[in-house]
Amino acid sequence: MKTYLIEIKLNGELKKVEVTAQETLLEVLRDKLGATDVKDGCSKGDCGACAVLLDGKAVNSCLTLALQANGKEVTTLRGIGNEKKPHPIQNSFIKHGAVQCGFCTAGMVVIAKAFLDQNQNPSRQEIREAISGNLCRCTGYEKIIDAIQNMALESKS
Amino acid sequence: MGELEYLIPKDFEEIFSAIEKTKGLAKFIAGGTNIIPYMRVETMSPELLIDLNGLEDLKYIREENGTITIGALTTISDIVASEVIRNKSQILHSAANNLGSPLIRNRATIGGNLADASPAADMAPPLLALEASIHTKRGEVEGREIPLDKFFVGPNKTVLAEDELITQIRFPIPKDSARGIFIKLGLRNSMTISVVSIAVIIDMDGQVCQKARVALGAVAPTIIRAFNVESKLEGEEINENIIQECADIVKEEISPISDIRASAEYRRLASSVMLKRAIQQVLKGEGL
Amino acid sequence: MSNAQKKEESFQPGYKIIGKPLARHDAWDKVFGKTIYADDFVLPGMLYAKVKRSEYPAANILSIDTSEAENLPGVKAVMTAKDVPNNETITRFGQTHSVGGFEGLYRVLADKKVRFMGEAVAIIAADTERIAKEALKLIKVKYEPLPGVYDPLEAMKPSAYQVGEGESNVICGYKVRKGDVEKGFAQSDVIIENTYRVPPQDHAYIEPESGVAWTGDDGVINIRVCTQVIEHYREIAEVMGLPHNKVRVIGSMIGGGFGGKEDITVESYLALLTWKTNRPVKLTYTREESILSHSKRHPYVLKYRTGATKDGKLMAMEAELISDAGAYVYLSPWVLLYSTVCATGPYNIPHVKVDSRSVLTNNTFSSAFRCFGAIQVCFAYESQMDELARSLNLSPIEIRKKNYLKKGKALATGRVLDHYVAFPETAEKALEVLGEKSKPESPYEKIGQGIASSMQSYGRMVFLHDTSRSYVSIELDGSVIVRCGVQDLGGGQASSLAHITAEVLGVPMEDVRVYIADTDLTPLAGTTTASRQLYMSGNATLKAANEIKKSLLIKAAEILGKRAKNLDLLDKKAVVIDETSTSIPLTDVISACASEGIPLYNVAQFNAPFRELIDFKTGQGQVFPDFTFGTHGAEVSIDTETGKIKILKLIASYDVGRAINRLSAEGQLEGGTIQGVGYAIMEDVILEKGVTLTPSYSEYLVPTSLDVVDVDKVMIESGGGIGPFGAKGIGEPSMTSIPAAIANAVCDALGVRIFDLPLTPERIVNALKKS
Repeated sequence: MKTYLIEIKLNGELKKVEVTAQETLLEVLRDKLGATDVKDGCSKGDCGACAVLLDGKAVNSCLTLALQANGKEVTTLRGIGNEKKPHPIQNSFIKHGAVQCGFCTAGMVVIAKAFLDQNQNPSRQEIREAISGNLCRCTGYEKIIDAIQNMALESKS
Repeated sequence: MGELEYLIPKDFEEIFSAIEKTKGLAKFIAGGTNIIPYMRVETMSPELLIDLNGLEDLKYIREENGTITIGALTTISDIVASEVIRNKSQILHSAANNLGSPLIRNRATIGGNLADASPAADMAPPLLALEASIHTKRGEVEGREIPLDKFFVGPNKTVLAEDELITQIRFPIPKDSARGIFIKLGLRNSMTISVVSIAVIIDMDGQVCQKARVALGAVAPTIIRAFNVESKLEGEEINENIIQECADIVKEEISPISDIRASAEYRRLASSVMLKRAIQQVLKGEGL
Repeated sequence: MSNAQKKEESFQPGYKIIGKPLARHDAWDKVFGKTIYADDFVLPGMLYAKVKRSEYPAANILSIDTSEAENLPGVKAVMTAKDVPNNETITRFGQTHSVGGFEGLYRVLADKKVRFMGEAVAIIAADTERIAKEALKLIKVKYEPLPGVYDPLEAMKPSAYQVGEGESNVICGYKVRKGDVEKGFAQSDVIIENTYRVPPQDHAYIEPESGVAWTGDDGVINIRVCTQVIEHYREIAEVMGLPHNKVRVIGSMIGGGFGGKEDITVESYLALLTWKTNRPVKLTYTREESILSHSKRHPYVLKYRTGATKDGKLMAMEAELISDAGAYVYLSPWVLLYSTVCATGPYNIPHVKVDSRSVLTNNTFSSAFRCFGAIQVCFAYESQMDELARSLNLSPIEIRKKNYLKKGKALATGRVLDHYVAFPETAEKALEVLGEKSKPESPYEKIGQGIASSMQSYGRMVFLHDTSRSYVSIELDGSVIVRCGVQDLGGGQASSLAHITAEVLGVPMEDVRVYIADTDLTPLAGTTTASRQLYMSGNATLKAANEIKKSLLIKAAEILGKRAKNLDLLDKKAVVIDETSTSIPLTDVISACASEGIPLYNVAQFNAPFRELIDFKTGQGQVFPDFTFGTHGAEVSIDTETGKIKILKLIASYDVGRAINRLSAEGQLEGGTIQGVGYAIMEDVILEKGVTLTPSYSEYLVPTSLDVVDVDKVMIESGGGIGPFGAKGIGEPSMTSIPAAIANAVCDALGVRIFDLPLTPERIVNALKKS
């Protein structure tokens, strides 16, 4: 198998890893770099569970070749916040009951962060549009929208 | 596909020499939102992937001399965010904003969307209505300028040669008097493949239609222009009768199929309805 | 809201933790990305498995040649039916009664014949996923395609293609007889007769089926899998020819279940491959594989005939229910029973005749899905109610009010409802919230409003001797451990136990640690299905915690010189009720107990009250422990030219008994409603002669955030449930009536009824054309 050595900055840490040309960023993150917080719901961009930030932009990691992340910064859920230093979005998700089975949560937090970085005063409809590429089968989206909207409100005050 | 190779050239020379060496077994990849799923189900099994993202200078949106030019590697979300596009070609903004999902739009490129040539591709109807042309670069010979209505030849088939690359999409900025609209009908409101999509641009001189461009998606083997509808409109004072006639004509101009999303009959009906509405809304002064 | 019934368990007039919107304790792990879901788990030396699946929905298998696959470097095992110790097992339902038709054949790998497209034919384990995928292609299967049968009505005919081996396609049937329907119809001024059809629905959980298995030193096969039923270990042991105590199933935190992870999915394949290779093995389905091969909601053909007087009083109901069981029996008999018992809806009808049958076809097999047979009949009976209302010029609420069941009244199956029945309350409240009809924004738009009421059981069928066990212990420092076999599918199952324990023992929720879902290490709590966990494991945990509380209070009473019944546990102290300044730290009481050898742990078993099996000739009997009653409301806007529906309002008005965790209860109402919207307007596993035409999430559409709106919730807490603190199960009922409410709203808008789901734009346009 022909492999290539790539370098990515994963949640602030420089990582070097051997990849093949067809491995997706999702596969490499989960299988080679221990980033199992990134989820695989469909492997073809229909569900958003695999969303990560690639140089700050939210993308489906299943639709990005690992090679295409070479030299770039990848941020996953764990890079956004953890129990030692939770991100306000994570606190907000908990506070508003936005987590049921939790499988869509990683993708939702990633897109929420990217969205809120650009929009400090979103309407509910704008939030619905922002998360329209992320499927959730448990919550009906409502508390996720509550969490995102209230985080925006809280960070203003 | 065990030995798939990957290249991310920095310039055109590198690209074309790689294509020459692999003779038909190379595929371009830009955003990857189509290519990666194709490879996953082995619809496509190239031996070399040529990543176009090394061509930094193919990402731009420019307005110059009454023309808008968009670099082929411009992402759909950059098109959505562009003031120029929103102000000068609202229907393109609208189509871009409805493509896939916010996550997909961050990777998908306009060049990739057109090269994939899906009969339901969202960017093509507005570009057809805008009378866009595609500019290419080739390895052996000169690149060419291809009017978009000559670009698609079948489902997922274009006139592009193996060693031909889209570099730019270009269209003239519509006149101030022109109005247009893009409507997409899908089975849900996001991440949905069009059942029917339509782009209409009409240039009015008082009550009389000077110029009409009508393009439809998902109702034929390729995106098409409804030439008969356009002829019907041009030179006419548009009233309800004319609009109804156009709604009838468009049913004959399209050749939809029945699939799991909709029957051919429904697509004909929907095309007719959407055309009517598009014209009515454009007449009301929907922006361009 | 009615007052909470006085419960013996609590000495307090109010609740400390119950009902407060507290964060679920598993939620923090999820939001930090720490939860180890099934596919996140890895072991050193792990192999990767893949499943070779049938290419035809009906065919004889002439030969399977695995030699090339076996010789591919990196392949460690290739197995077919002949390699399985017991490839076929029969599952019998019910313990003491032998009843025909309730035996389900479970076949691990197809042997001589395939019955549905996607049936597993062979399994592979290899060093990498890529090699396993390559090896799949090298397995050569020779098929002889057979005609197959794909319509249950066809399959019922005696001359039909036989799906199984030598048995009728009709798996089972039930009857309900009450009164004399012919008499009832004779007394009716209006009779409405319609046939309704509902499609297969995919659970579409975002986490595909997945698991990892390994063999322990002692020869125990360990399977860590996302499952709603860890107790399949017994079946798996039988497949493997092993004693039950040699198979251990560990349930991982589930990324969505909804009934789709209720049957065995990957477990048998994993057990076989780890047993064969002696290496750990992982198997994760692709999305396409999941849609292709796992169970679906039963499609039904529902023929209803309902008669009423001109005042709207229901006189007679005759229903014929036919469910498409697909290729294998699985839970079809039970789903059908639920449909049969709920076929009348929450209405008092003097004459009832229900005949139901479940039929095998060569479609993907149908089995459990949230609402389990009750949602299909609800679509039919609530559409019928609105049709009656229309023909009698009554409003939807008027006709329902004339017929709703009440506490003390009996279902057509003879079962008397002995708790509060929240009708017309939930319907009136739903209407209130629905409010004035919105105004259309264009001439081609029509607005409609609709309501639908439902009854949905919670708790398993009462002849099943359902039990649940839970272990609670308190540490010397006052922290608490709960061990319970409960499987958590994201509905807060585990977390509710922490709530209940914290409430009873007077400690903060953070001090309670819950260990779940391990057949070797946690007392078995039964399935996470039938909205039963809160009722069952909740009650078991309540019982266990109360035993410990009793011991602690007796000791505290001794120390304080008070009477135990005047004490309570609050804020990590034993306190005197009404004089809470008089108290002892909990840890002191614990020390005192510990030093005297007084046990500070308890394993409690909660037995669901047992009732005899129903009489199959008349359908009379109890069947379910209790029901949740509620009403959904919807307002829709329909584009009459394209048929596209826009959801404007969604209302869920339900009696939840008691909201143990308010955010969770709301989350169920919201999630259930939206999943129901999907069923109503866009979800359909389209099969053509057994071939799935909706293989991925691009073709099988579930609602995105832009397809739905916020759900207005009315949560009534009657305290009338049989769960802890008067709670009712809400996981399923939250979905049951929304498709009917939307169908009624559509009919209200258009003036014409559509009898099939989903209500696609094309169906709407066709219905308008016809009228």
